Amino acid sequence: MKNFLALILTLFLGFLIMSSLNNNIAFPKFGEANIGDRVSDAYIDRDVTENPGDVIFGETDGLESGPANIVTAIVADYRSFDTLGEVTVLFVSALGVALLLGTKKQKRLEIDFHPNFMLRVGSKALFGVILMTGIYISIHGHLTPGGGFPGGSMIATSMLLLYLADDNFRAKVKGFKILESIAGSLYVLIGIIGLIIGGSFLVNILDTGVIGELFSAGIIPIVYVLIGLKVGSEISNVIDNFLTEEGA
Amino acid sequence: MLQYAAIVLIMLGLYGILTQRNVIKIILSLNIMEIGLNLFIISVGYVTDGIAPIMTTNHNTNSLIYVDPLPQALVLTAIVIGVGTTALGLAIAKNIYSKYGTFELDEMEEE
Amino acid sequence: MSAVLLIAVPLLAAFISILNKKLAPVLLLLVSLFNIVSIFFYSLGTITIGGFEAPYGISLVLDNYSLIGLIVINIAFFLVLLISYEKVKKVATVLLVALAGLNGLLLTGDLFNLFVFIEVSGIAAYLISTTNKKYVATFNYLVIGTVGSSFYLLGLIILYAMVGTLNMSDMALRISSEGISAANLSLPFLFMFIGLGVEAKLLPFNSWVKGILGNSNKLVGPMIASVYAGTISLVFGRILTSVFVVSDRLGLILTVILLVGIVAGETMAFASTKLREILLYSSIAQASLVIILFLEGITGWAVMMVIANVISKLVLFAIASYTSDELKTDEVDNLKGIFSKNKIIGVAFTIASLSVSGLPLFMGFVVKMNVLTSIFDGEDYLLAAVILLTSIVEGVYFVRVLIKLWYNKEDAKTINYNFVIKYIVSVLAVLLIVFGTYTTVLNDQVETVNEVFEIGGNE
Repeated sequence: MKNFLALILTLFLGFLIMSSLNNNIAFPKFGEANIGDRVSDAYIDRDVTENPGDVIFGETDGLESGPANIVTAIVADYRSFDTLGEVTVLFVSALGVALLLGTKKQKRLEIDFHPNFMLRVGSKALFGVILMTGIYISIHGHLTPGGGFPGGSMIATSMLLLYLADDNFRAKVKGFKILESIAGSLYVLIGIIGLIIGGSFLVNILDTGVIGELFSAGIIPIVYVLIGLKVGSEISNVIDNFLTEEGA
Repeated sequence: MLQYAAIVLIMLGLYGILTQRNVIKIILSLNIMEIGLNLFIISVGYVTDGIAPIMTTNHNTNSLIYVDPLPQALVLTAIVIGVGTTALGLAIAKNIYSKYGTFELDEMEEE
Repeated sequence: MSAVLLIAVPLLAAFISILNKKLAPVLLLLVSLFNIVSIFFYSLGTITIGGFEAPYGISLVLDNYSLIGLIVINIAFFLVLLISYEKVKKVATVLLVALAGLNGLLLTGDLFNLFVFIEVSGIAAYLISTTNKKYVATFNYLVIGTVGSSFYLLGLIILYAMVGTLNMSDMALRISSEGISAANLSLPFLFMFIGLGVEAKLLPFNSWVKGILGNSNKLVGPMIASVYAGTISLVFGRILTSVFVVSDRLGLILTVILLVGIVAGETMAFASTKLREILLYSSIAQASLVIILFLEGITGWAVMMVIANVISKLVLFAIASYTSDELKTDEVDNLKGIFSKNKIIGVAFTIASLSVSGLPLFMGFVVKMNVLTSIFDGEDYLLAAVILLTSIVEGVYFVRVLIKLWYNKEDAKTINYNFVIKYIVSVLAVLLIVFGTYTTVLNDQVETVNEVFEIGGNE
């Protein structure tokens, strides 16, 4: 009976959404979005503070926001404050996992699977490659798809590999905590420095360079590396907390 | 239509949350709902024949037709927040299991 | 100085505080004090972040509306910390994040940024509620909270697709200039309303409240019922007054939902025999009432009602949770006569509960009087009747509880309340009387709040 009511409710709600979106002339049909009417237009043309004219990859310099990846320009520059909030969400949930699961004396969870020699050695060889890719993706977030969040997750994946391939492995959680704390504090401090020098929080205080070059976009690569390190250490912490239990 | 598929996913997730009594299944339903929502966000910014909003040597000017980059930035935030809530939910689930020895909400003794 | 420091400093402190567990509670108190003091030095206006003007960048809005909210919420937050200091130690970092999130909610002028801060403060709230050790209740809270914020996000995205902006004032401007009909806006606004309604404890969406507040300890009770509830009500008020365009049909649906919330909340409070449950059902009714006032456009007095609720709920939940922490029960019958042994606590509790039910001399009375006058001016007699009726019901069940708690009995249990809670609740109770008798302060504040929305709103 309860399931039936839930079914009726969800069907009704779904029908309500679909029909009213369908009848809504102001809501653009799929693929017909008019970006010219939206704020995103200014993000593509980079003309929020002043109009730079045509933006050409590899030539235009000194833009208000320098990343060639427009999504990165929004995430780490135009709406950087959201990203700070998002980093905080991940920070506080990782902290919560540690609060809920962490006790002082921990040992690895007993799993009914013991990796053999080949797996242990092979995973150590792969570990470096995955770690480097993660860092590469974090650093190139302003040029290519990717950035601090995927890069950080990849760093955490390399840690997960070590955990899975070696049933005695424990990472140095204390080190992760210090890394996480420093990276987070630096992010906020960069914002406050921007407030003091540039007059508003998280303002881009460095030269934005030529669009499309590795050393461009001012503080964005720095911020993304910090985010990468922070996300990597937080998720590694979460992995450690889930794979350990109380014991000697 | 991608938007309708997204709404179907959201409603599937909602149905799961309303009917399931297993902690892990509820978390899974939440994730399905969030995925549907993320898909919906992305679909709102799609422009027919638009290209990914990244400038490269091939697409080297701002006068091309790009898809709307803002929903893609928003979805990144939404995904990360979803990861955070899922991790927290699973940690609470682990605590519930060690306290009651079950994941079924109905089998737990009322406190 | 820029008001963004109200968010940035707690965040910085939170990131630093995980390095040293002993330092964290001290840091928390210092930062909370810093916030209270620094509020008085910021100049009003819009604060851009990242150097990009609104609507392109995110902007914070510090006007008289958010200023009042910031002052009240930051002070209330600090008082809750003092009351429950020994509980605070384990979750100090979480509380720092919660402080940043609450200030962000009050300040932000961007609808998506609001979603981020709902999640920041929400996740902090889930963690604060784990100090109750009722994990199933926390799990329900997490699931319902996440569904609520997802609904808010869904509504927001539909709105973005239609209007093309995320900034609150720009949104209102574009809606009126592009002439989007109110009927087309109903769906996104309904979803945003439901999403925020979950956080604000409105009745049809409130099933998490009982598990969290019905078992609350002295940190969770005042923090969620007073500080969080006040903040969310103010956020609701800002969105209803400066963004929403409510069509007649949507307005009717929302009013009916809220009226059901009021009536059901009061009925359940009347039927309950547990102290914390009575308080929590009463606060559900109060939350719905405040939202109705915002919906009817009585903004100034609605803000005053939020403030009155923050003060009185802080007193009520601090005392109720402290008492149940000590005695391990909150059945009113088991608590008979406790106030006869603790007169100061008893008087403060009495004043706060009478103020909530709207007896003369207290702040709640002044607020309700003025609200009723405005409603009669608008000739909405049904609403006025509901408010009057609920006031009577509130009066009955609060007096019933008070008689039992004051009833002089020889074997009444004695509780040692520490001097911090005694001191704080009596100061707050005096404050309720001061505002209740010396009403010019309230009238002035109402004027300044109303001015904000006449100039900046979309009237």
